[in-house]
Amino acid sequence: MAVAMAAGPVALRRAGAAARGLTRGILTRAGRPRHRGPLPRTPWTTRGPPPEVLARVVERRPVRKQVELDTITCAGRLHHIPGLAWPRFPPWDRGWHDPWHSPGPRYEEMPLYKERGCYICHQGVRMLEGVRQAQWLTKTKLVEGLPLSVQSILDNPAHGLQEHEERVKDAISHARFWDTREVAPKRERFCPVLFEDLIHLCRLMSRKYPALSKRMLARNYRIAATWERESVLLQVRGLNGILMNSMAPIPPVASKEEILATKEHVLETFHPILPTIDLQEVNVYKELNDTGFRDGYPYSHPHTLFFLESAIICPDRFRPEQLRAKMLMFAFGNALAKAKALYGNDPKVLEQPIVVQSIGTDGQLFQFMVFQLNTTDLVSNDGIKNLVWIDSDQKLYETAQCVPKIKKRVVVKPVGIHGFQPDTFKKFLALYLHGTV
Amino acid sequence: MAALGLCRAFGALLLSAAPRRARPPVLPPGPPPWLSGPVAAACRGLGGSAPRCTTDPLWKCRVKYTVRPIGMKKTGGRDHTGRIRVRGIGGGHKRRYRMIDFQRLRYEEGAPPEPFTEKVIKVRYDPCRSADIALVAGGNRKRWIVATENMQPGDIIKNSSHIGRMAVSANEGDAYPLGALPVGTLICNLESHPGKGAQYIRAAGTCGVLLRKVNGTAIVQLPSKRHMQVLETCVATVGRVSNVDHNKRVIGKAGRNRWLGKRPHTGLWHRKGGWAGRKIKPLPPMKSYVNLPRVRAAE
Repeated sequence: MAVAMAAGPVALRRAGAAARGLTRGILTRAGRPRHRGPLPRTPWTTRGPPPEVLARVVERRPVRKQVELDTITCAGRLHHIPGLAWPRFPPWDRGWHDPWHSPGPRYEEMPLYKERGCYICHQGVRMLEGVRQAQWLTKTKLVEGLPLSVQSILDNPAHGLQEHEERVKDAISHARFWDTREVAPKRERFCPVLFEDLIHLCRLMSRKYPALSKRMLARNYRIAATWERESVLLQVRGLNGILMNSMAPIPPVASKEEILATKEHVLETFHPILPTIDLQEVNVYKELNDTGFRDGYPYSHPHTLFFLESAIICPDRFRPEQLRAKMLMFAFGNALAKAKALYGNDPKVLEQPIVVQSIGTDGQLFQFMVFQLNTTDLVSNDGIKNLVWIDSDQKLYETAQCVPKIKKRVVVKPVGIHGFQPDTFKKFLALYLHGTV
Repeated sequence: MAALGLCRAFGALLLSAAPRRARPPVLPPGPPPWLSGPVAAACRGLGGSAPRCTTDPLWKCRVKYTVRPIGMKKTGGRDHTGRIRVRGIGGGHKRRYRMIDFQRLRYEEGAPPEPFTEKVIKVRYDPCRSADIALVAGGNRKRWIVATENMQPGDIIKNSSHIGRMAVSANEGDAYPLGALPVGTLICNLESHPGKGAQYIRAAGTCGVLLRKVNGTAIVQLPSKRHMQVLETCVATVGRVSNVDHNKRVIGKAGRNRWLGKRPHTGLWHRKGGWAGRKIKPLPPMKSYVNLPRVRAAE
């Protein structure tokens, strides 16, 4: 039986760091010292009386222990003498600023600290109430199904959406079967590969419609949008997804009558839960509106936002309802930042509504969304509201069998894609073509 | 130390469109390498899930409340010296601890001390106790509480500290002070001092009975038939604790007890002495948690 030599703690830490890929100049520092002794007293480790009663008890400490009364302590003697009080020493001051040991500035001392808190929606926020909560926060009315302009692209046979079926099946097979040497690729591999292949298929249409080449994909860009909603300050911040920009904006999707009809719509609230639940509340923030791109960037109009849920573990991925809420919040954030860049920060009803599309997927289920920003006047609950069309839970295929399903020596399900639905890719392509065709 | 990581994260948020400058070398994404265990998990922030277990002996000392389950470290019945203090504990399935809020009347920060309602989001199994727990949301926060018998997702429950002249007709799952409840209600999650948090009647299927209310105090019968006198401002939940059939379950095999973390007893035969066998004793006297003046001692 081979006996492994017990490696010391420093060698173990170096091995761990090397395994993580940091191979140059690994500085190992002593980790936390091993805790010996009983656990410290916190509200979760004690079962005593409530803190107020405890405070009263503490004041009745034995007189010997109250250092204020005792002037003779054993400080000078360097060891404890029974009968003398234990002195209270001042906390040790290093004398110089050590960046690895200094606690950093407190929130109240930071220059951007504000009394009024702000609720931030970032890419990790999972809303409890989902799309209904996002609708209240963005003052939006929901319409089920895709808008008429996208439906007309779908129904128009001249766009040749039928020929792509074989190519789409090849794309799915590439993502789900062929891209690995193991049995099946993990989701964090096949989700982006599928996305790239579908985008490639869409880009092939630019031979027919040259205006489609005036598009650009952008990753890892940060959006910042600030707005106020019924005396609550809200922000959308940070990395969100892959944005496809275009040189020309998408023309407004809803007619004037539909926009005026949103005045009667009442946004639903969910008492006793506040609409700002699950948002991160901060007191240190900057009220910023930034599209993420500088002025003079040729592809200045946001066209479509893609969200890829490519985490392997199921709890790390967003549920479909939470994903739709995230898509709505970030589509709104991009549209609002663009509106403020074009028309200024004053809240008003937009003459030219801004349309931003959004597609979210986890490699199998697709969520399609078209958002139209009609107004930046979001403080009150009345007036014109924004519009969103959502087509949710569209499966591209039922299952992708990597190994055949065999029951009692009979192949029940052979290898391959099962339950392929071409309509989902047609909607994907229609949203891609929307705005140019 | 944790604030340093947080400051860096906020600095990244603020510099979204700043002109490019020579930046200091950027750490790999994630918390800095010297942070370990729960501190690193706290700094991970966006999108990370909590670990399934931890080797950190201080996992219990987290001060900030969170809804996410915390990895536990099993003790095996050993105390801080390393010796077995309690026999028969060890092994068993890994568990994650969900921080339960036993103080029902905990107001949100910034909220006025008035009666408030909450909505039940889901009711689920808790590996750390026999009862089920419910995730409730109210205002801007979510918390776990011990679920009562008929709690379903979507219910609205009320928490109140107001004692009126008339007794309230309480619905199951609501939390009221004992002085506001009618005599004879079944209660659970009782606290002995106002504001301390529930420490009594928390096991699956148990309930206490409010026997009588006498000048500022209330007397409750616990599931062991013992009587307990507490101040009438102590808050209790109305109803029986969930998972009512818990005592009717059949373990079935020794392995199931091992999954629950119970190690076998010693097989050595001992002659049983006076401690063994059924005892029929009168009920112990009523336990009073009220500091009444000496003149009128508790009944």
